[in-house]
This record gives sequence, structure tokens and C-alpha cells, in this order.
Amino acid sequence: MKSLDLSVVVPLYNEEESVELLHRRISEALQDTALAYEILFVDDGSRDRTLERAAGIADRDPRLRVVEFRANYGQTPAMAAGIDLAAGRVIATMDGDLQNDPRDIPVMLAEMDDDTHMVVGWRKDRQDKLLTRKVPSWIANRLIGKVTGVPIRDNGCSLKLYRASVIKRVPLYSEMHRFIPAMASITGAHVKEVAVRHHARQFGASKYGLSRTYKVLLDLLAIKTIIGFTQRPLLWFGLLAVPFMIGSLVALVAAVIPVFTMVDGELILPFAGTGVLFGALAIFLIMGGALGELIYATGNVDLTEYSRLLAVEPTRAERGKDV
Amino acid sequence: MSEAQRDVVRYSVIVPVGRRVDYLATLIAEYAEALGSIGAGFELIVVLDGPKRELLEALKSVAGSMPELRVIELARAFGESAALTAGFDAARGGILVTLPAYYQVDPAELPKLLAAAEGEDDLLIAVRWPRASTFLDRLRRGGFHALFKLVSGIEYRDLGCGVRLLKREVAAEIPLYGDQHRFLPALATKRGFRVREVELAQSPKDMFRGRYRLREYLHGVLDVLTIFFLVRFTKKPLRFFGTIGALAAGFGGVFVIVMVIQRAFFGVGLADRPALLLASLLVVLGVQTFALGLVGELIIFTHASDMKEYAVRSIIQGRNSKALQQESKEAAAGGQ
Repeated sequence: MKSLDLSVVVPLYNEEESVELLHRRISEALQDTALAYEILFVDDGSRDRTLERAAGIADRDPRLRVVEFRANYGQTPAMAAGIDLAAGRVIATMDGDLQNDPRDIPVMLAEMDDDTHMVVGWRKDRQDKLLTRKVPSWIANRLIGKVTGVPIRDNGCSLKLYRASVIKRVPLYSEMHRFIPAMASITGAHVKEVAVRHHARQFGASKYGLSRTYKVLLDLLAIKTIIGFTQRPLLWFGLLAVPFMIGSLVALVAAVIPVFTMVDGELILPFAGTGVLFGALAIFLIMGGALGELIYATGNVDLTEYSRLLAVEPTRAERGKDV
Repeated sequence: MSEAQRDVVRYSVIVPVGRRVDYLATLIAEYAEALGSIGAGFELIVVLDGPKRELLEALKSVAGSMPELRVIELARAFGESAALTAGFDAARGGILVTLPAYYQVDPAELPKLLAAAEGEDDLLIAVRWPRASTFLDRLRRGGFHALFKLVSGIEYRDLGCGVRLLKREVAAEIPLYGDQHRFLPALATKRGFRVREVELAQSPKDMFRGRYRLREYLHGVLDVLTIFFLVRFTKKPLRFFGTIGALAAGFGGVFVIVMVIQRAFFGVGLADRPALLLASLLVVLGVQTFALGLVGELIIFTHASDMKEYAVRSIIQGRNSKALQQESKEAAAGGQ
């Protein structure tokens, strides 16, 4: 396949009203830039006429490819499919609901310099409901930044640009699209943040609500484990074990003291019991870490390969073509 | 049927032979007769799950008059899923049909199943209907399917029926092990294949003469739980373990705090309360379960690149979309 400058990946799920307008806006934004680009619409098993309409556009526009999924798999798999199939050297992802503005793509592309592997959008003036969307999102972003060590103001913004060589190697699964910057940071990728426009939703209903908060929290812990593990194997589980080990020691000492001092020993049994239990838990956690080490060693994730890649790419010559 | 038609194998019929067998040679002959009546090329693959000398002799005696028949003998009994997989691997046809080695569906009904395959569906599963059964049978069946519906969210009427028809892509994409052949429809639905139930008349000779033992019930329930986990949480183990762990640890933690407050301020003794140990155990159990979830996440992360989470039906591009569609289908099937 011939090399392209840019691939725009858009996952679509029941967006029949917006698909035509979306395609027109992307085309208008990119036509004047002299970039060799392609658009990938990934239809995530829509139940309305999204696929039909997208296919209709593909008949007219040779730059558009429409990927039809066999079923509804979710936003992350849809993005992963688009990224796997994209031919561009830079891959842009955005939402299909017209809330992102494709005119930001050239602006963000200009920011993609030698040391940058990822440019993420930041919806500065977000057009959403304050209480149910903006406030939880603010808290979530602070939390994600703290936990993952990648302080991005807006993880939820889908408008992001990646160097293909980096993003194609980042494992994307489950609902990881929120954490792509964090995942990519494992590889040592550098991230830039650019303020982007944000429009209020025109068609259809929002597909996200507050109900997924606890899922995000669990996913965040999973990411933390993965990041922690890739950096300091075994230590992460060891760290989890430390509080229980301290608790265990304190309880055991408290249980033993009355034996020598002959003071009233009412609490010997509860202290000894909890001490032994927590000690067992600490050992279990360290064992878990050892097991994780084994899994990690036998798995096929080779991060040194990522680092090598980042070390040689991009070259000066390539940069000239990129922008 | 002409010789030329015979050469093109359209249907590969696989008969796994496990412990339960009814007059195999006769049954095979009946299947062959029913399949021969439709006029398309087919092959019959009998997979003997483990060495069975008498059956092998019986099959050899009919093989002479039945050129469609092939027999695969596994070195030892691996179970029905493994036998089916061996059959799928040996199959040459584009459409795979599985049939039981005992009477379930009236062989005369098979053309109806093959006719139903002309539609868009990727997997057809037979439902024995109308069906004769005792009250106890209905109760047992109803309970099993209700449990299955509860955990998978999909309602099936006859998961115990071994008569299925599937396109080759389905077999290529879904690895079967253990007892999973029974849950093929649920696994296929999860991968986005179109699944439909087809009503076929029950064979008058269909009856299970043995008794169901407690072990079989237990196996059934465990299998359903496995499928529940596989269908819902394969890619997010922490969601499963984490929820259970957090609930246990949270409950235990609150319990401990309440008891400590009672001891400190209300003078309720702690030493004679086993409840304290119970609560601490809950905390420990919760944290352990949670940690297991984290280890699970590591497994998924390290293998994520091997397991594609999506399946592409087609890629549409420009005017010659038809040709590309075909190409991408093949690529998708080959890539799995």
C-alpha cells in the first residue's frame, strides 16, 4: 500500500444523521492542506442506516474506506480496527458525533514535531452539561493524571493524533481508549496537548453516562498495575503488600507483649488472629507478584522494541514530509 | 447425482463418537441416505473419540459401499469438543454439519436443516420439536436453560442437541475445548455471527437410558459459569474479580470498624467475638480476589496482540466494493 501522510479514523455507532455532514467537514478541513490522506469509517455494528449511508459516500469518495464490523464490539475495538488498517504515517482519531471539529486536525498535525509521538486534544470550552458530564470528567482527569503519571487535562477527548509506528504497537482492548496516552507513555512516547474546538451535540443521544464510573475506576487500577509492572516488576505487588505486612507485625507484637508483661490479656486472641491473617495476605500478594512476573516474561510484549523504535524515529527527512 | 457433482464437497458432516452410541453403522447409513437425497456433494467424517475396535470394524464393513465416509480415530478420549475440532480440521466442505452418534433428530429431517442454511445465518442449531419428554426431563431442561439465560442473556431451547450447521469461518474463529461445543451458539453470538434455531422433528428412538448423576449436574452448572466469564469478562478480568473483591473487602472492613467502635466506646468485648475473625477473613479474601483480577489484567495485556477483539465483515471502498468485500472476508477468515 502506498504511504499516506494522514489517516483519519472515526468509529461510528448509530450515527445515520451525522455521517454525511461528518464526511463533508473532514474533507473540507483537509482538502486545502495538500496532505495525502484517507478517511476510515469503522461501523461498529450500527442498527440504523449508518453503514448504508457511509457506503454511499464511499462510492463517491475514493479516499474513504468503510469498515463493517460483524457485530457491535465497542469503541475501543472500533478504534483498534481503524488503527490496524490505517495506511497513514500519522493517525488521527475522532468521534463520529460531530462534537469534535476536523479543522483542528491540521493544527494538531503542525504540533507533531520530532520529539512528539502523540498530540491530544483538550476541549477547552466544553459544550456539555456541567453537572453530569463536566464535573465527573474533571475529577476523572485529575485522578487519571495522578495515577498514570501522564497529566493530561482531557483524557475523554477522542480527537488525538498518533505516530502510526507508536500507536500500532500499543495493545488496545476492552475500554482502553480513555487511557491510550497512559498506555503509550509506557513506551516512552512524548505527548503534547492542544486546545481544540468542541461543539454541542446536534443529533442523537449521548451514549455515555455516569453509570460507568466504577468501571473507569477498575480500568484505571488495571492500567496502574500494567504500567507499574512494566517499570518495576514485582515491586508493585510488593508495595501493595507493605501495609498489610506492617499491620500484621503491629498486631502480632501487640498480641505478644501481654504474654511477657502479665497484664490483662483480653485482646491477645483478636490481635494474634488478625496479625496472622494479614501476614498471610501479604505473602499471598508477593506470590501474586511473582506469578505476574512469570506471565510477563512468557507474554509477547516487548517494550525494548518500542524504545528502539522511538530512538530511531522520526528522522529529519521524514519530518519534512509529515507537515 | 453425477460423479462430477460428487467430487465437489459442499457439506462436511462430522459425527463425533463418544461414550453414547446407537447402532452406529445403521445410523450412518440413514444419515448418508438423507444427505444423498438433496443432490449436493457431501462427505461424512466419523471421529472416534479414543480407540473403539468394534465400532471401527463395523464402520470398515460399510465403508466399502460408502465412498463419502472417512473415519478418524483419536489416540485416546479427548472429549467431544476435541473430536469436533479434529473433524473440522479434516473437513473439506465450506459448510460444516455436526450430527450426534445417537438418535436425536429424525435423519429424514436433515434436508430441512440444509435448506435453512441458504439464508444469511452463520450458525444453525437444531431444536428437537415436537418432542416427547417426561415431566422430570422438562423440569431439568427448563432449569438448565433458565440458568443459561440468566447468565448469558440469551435464550436457547435445546443446547443439548448435537445437530448443528455452521459455516467454516465459525469453526475457524472459535476455539472449542472442554465441554464448550454445547455453548457454541453463545460464543458465536458474542463474536458477531448470526445464529438461528431450526425446529426439526425428534427421532422416535431418541431417549437417554442412563440416569443423570449429581456429577453431571455439577458439570453443567460449572460450564455455564465458565461461559458466563468467557462471554462477559474475557478482556476485563478486573471488572469481575474487582467487583467481587471490593464487595467482600468493603463489607468486611465496615464490619471491623463497627466492632472496634463498639469495643472502644461502648465496652463490648472483642475477645469473645468470632465475628472479628470472620470480618478480617472477608477483608483478606476480598484483597486476594482483587489481586487475582490484577494478575488477570496482566495476562490480557501480555496477550492482547494475539487476540483480536473485533471481526470485520467487509471493507467497502469505491465502486468495486464487491470484489474488495470478498477479499477482505478471506483475509479476515485467514487472519483469525
